[in-house]
Amino acid sequence: MELLEQIKERYLDRLSPATFRSRLFWKTVEGLALSPLNRPQWKADRVSLAYFLRATRDAYLHRAPVVWCNLLTPSELVLGSGCIPFYPEMAAAVAASAGLAPRFIDRAAEEEFPSDACSYHRCLLGCALEGFLPEPDLLLAVNYPCDSAPLSFAFLGDLYRAPLFVLEAPLPGRERGVEELAGRMAEAARAMAGLSGRREREMMEGLSTAVELSNRALRHLREVEEMRKRDDCTLDGKDAMGNVSVLAGCLGSQAGADFYRLLAEELRERGCRGKNGLRIMWMHLKPWYSQTIFQILEKHGARLVCEEYTHATWEAMDPRDPFPSLARKLGGHFLVGAAERRVSHLVRLAREYRVDGAIHYNHWGCRQSCGSAPLAKGALQRAGVPTLIIDGDCIDDREYQEGQVATRLEAFLESLK
Amino acid sequence: MDEDLITWFCAYTPLELLTAAGLKPVRSFGDPDRIDDSDAFLHPAICPYVRSCLAQAMQEEGPHHAVFVNSCDGMRRLHDAWKDLFPDGFVFLLDLPRNVGKSGERMLAGEYRHLLEALRSWRGREISHAEIKAACRAREELRREYIRAAEGAGGGERLLLARHFQSAPQDAASPAATRGPAATAPGAGRGVPVLLTGNILNPAGMVSLLEEAGARVVWADLCNGDRAFAAPTLAEGESLGEVLGALAAAYLARPHCARMLDGERRHRTLVENALRAGARGIIYASLKFCDSYLYEYPRTREMLQREGIPVLRLESDYADGHAGQVLTRVEAFLEMIS
Repeated sequence: MELLEQIKERYLDRLSPATFRSRLFWKTVEGLALSPLNRPQWKADRVSLAYFLRATRDAYLHRAPVVWCNLLTPSELVLGSGCIPFYPEMAAAVAASAGLAPRFIDRAAEEEFPSDACSYHRCLLGCALEGFLPEPDLLLAVNYPCDSAPLSFAFLGDLYRAPLFVLEAPLPGRERGVEELAGRMAEAARAMAGLSGRREREMMEGLSTAVELSNRALRHLREVEEMRKRDDCTLDGKDAMGNVSVLAGCLGSQAGADFYRLLAEELRERGCRGKNGLRIMWMHLKPWYSQTIFQILEKHGARLVCEEYTHATWEAMDPRDPFPSLARKLGGHFLVGAAERRVSHLVRLAREYRVDGAIHYNHWGCRQSCGSAPLAKGALQRAGVPTLIIDGDCIDDREYQEGQVATRLEAFLESLK
Repeated sequence: MDEDLITWFCAYTPLELLTAAGLKPVRSFGDPDRIDDSDAFLHPAICPYVRSCLAQAMQEEGPHHAVFVNSCDGMRRLHDAWKDLFPDGFVFLLDLPRNVGKSGERMLAGEYRHLLEALRSWRGREISHAEIKAACRAREELRREYIRAAEGAGGGERLLLARHFQSAPQDAASPAATRGPAATAPGAGRGVPVLLTGNILNPAGMVSLLEEAGARVVWADLCNGDRAFAAPTLAEGESLGEVLGALAAAYLARPHCARMLDGERRHRTLVENALRAGARGIIYASLKFCDSYLYEYPRTREMLQREGIPVLRLESDYADGHAGQVLTRVEAFLEMIS
């Protein structure tokens, strides 16, 4: 039995919900994760790792009110209101990378959540039903990128008897809708500040600080983006894809600003150690439990120079006016509205990063990404970018056909040479 | 092809505005037998109703004017594919709030203004609030006609009636000109009374199978069934703003689709309808890949269990070609509740 399997069987499979609520457990985890023996490759990753460990620990130990968020929920809003943002979709990805997702997905199936739904959400529902997630005081979902979050959060709100706020991003061109969204954000912020005990003035100061920190992160993120466009950039997308968690969950914190500052600095320092080769764009997310795809890419001298979800899609915000600023940031996201926005974003990335080809990973049950994959492929092909669509599942390894994926990927990469 | 025909899909489409613009709104029910024709444009894990609507449109000549409602991922994806395939048609995506209450009403009324503006640009004429009010009254007359026609009808027949009322072009000036087929109520009084709830079902598929198994559908809580006709969408007011506000409020006051956030109200309505109609159980039948109903079921089941109402869950692929196993499950359920 391989070492990882042994560890999983010995420790991970025996984890209980109570373990996550023990101070000793978190002390041990932090000790192991931040020890010199486990140094991530990038300095920036050390910052994000420390941040997420601390935030997750605090959420489990309930050191502040916990607010569950989905991918597009602005973390600035939650942090500025004095609460801990917790992203259960990310928890599902962590469970998948630890090989635990099938157990939780099966638990959700017992509750009659069928296999046709997104496995991120089935996994997080299973985790919640088994008591493995930190109890939310409030749930805050955005109505994009997909229906799953508002719908599964409605179930979870009932389960935990916690209030659910849904922020509704308006369709593009609806200015009144942006005003309404700002109002709804203010309402949610006041509810969160009520939980954290912040008065109106403290809350507004907190939000102002969060927006300032977010602006700083944005400035450095744009530097990172410029450096990633160079031929010799050393940051590969297989590593950068994980930064979606920073973009979703860290903005508004000091760690978020530090992360992108350090990443930009380190990219400048490392400079020209990157390799030439096929430049590939990755669309949607990756299977979190397997590295096979990236090993094949490496074998063929291909690297991911950009990914769909890790780019800046908004302008600097006004710290004195946080709600309209955050509403514009959310409303302008490329995943809000019809697919033409997403498609334009992808074509723009493909052009700016001069990609030789693009890969769309069709996560089973994801109506937003699978649903618009044919349109994205068509537009990219018209822009001269050969595009491969691979069917798979980001979370459930039982739905992953490794041989089939490898064959198609190899054939695609050969055709690009 | 009639240039005034405009296709609609979701039961939240404000038909009154389309009628007031001089259009003939017709609901598409798609072609379930040709669903695979849409594979190149919509992933097979997308709602089969949506895919069959695209498949049908691909067979038809015409400008393909259509109004979509941003009610779910599937509908939005249908809009995307439709717009890409039929660039010459009038194609509009109307947003729909999940939050009910005053903020939802304001948002929806704002969306109606956007739709009116788009219609004005396309048709080259203003639409007055008086025309909208007239269209509302005509729709209300049709709704009442449906209720009269559906009285005592069985499940399949109710859905056929609803289909007729939703898909036959309606002329606001003479709504009574297009009457539905008369209800013969062959199954009235026979079979085990059940309430059918879900999204949209094919009258020739799952519903006929329920009747074959011995069920009598006393209320079809479907968007292509009684739900769409359960409450009026009459709007009054002295200005365009007032009328649009009232219309938005009326649409949001109707029995909800599972995509709305007010699940408690939906559940309450479900139980009330079951008790009022004398249903002995509820059949929860939804289309595959419909997230709104996939995620809602466990909460609904729990609530119905608390109320002591038996429930059976079924899933439909819209064509419902392989029904043997479903028939056995329905028969077992009916035996249990009869």
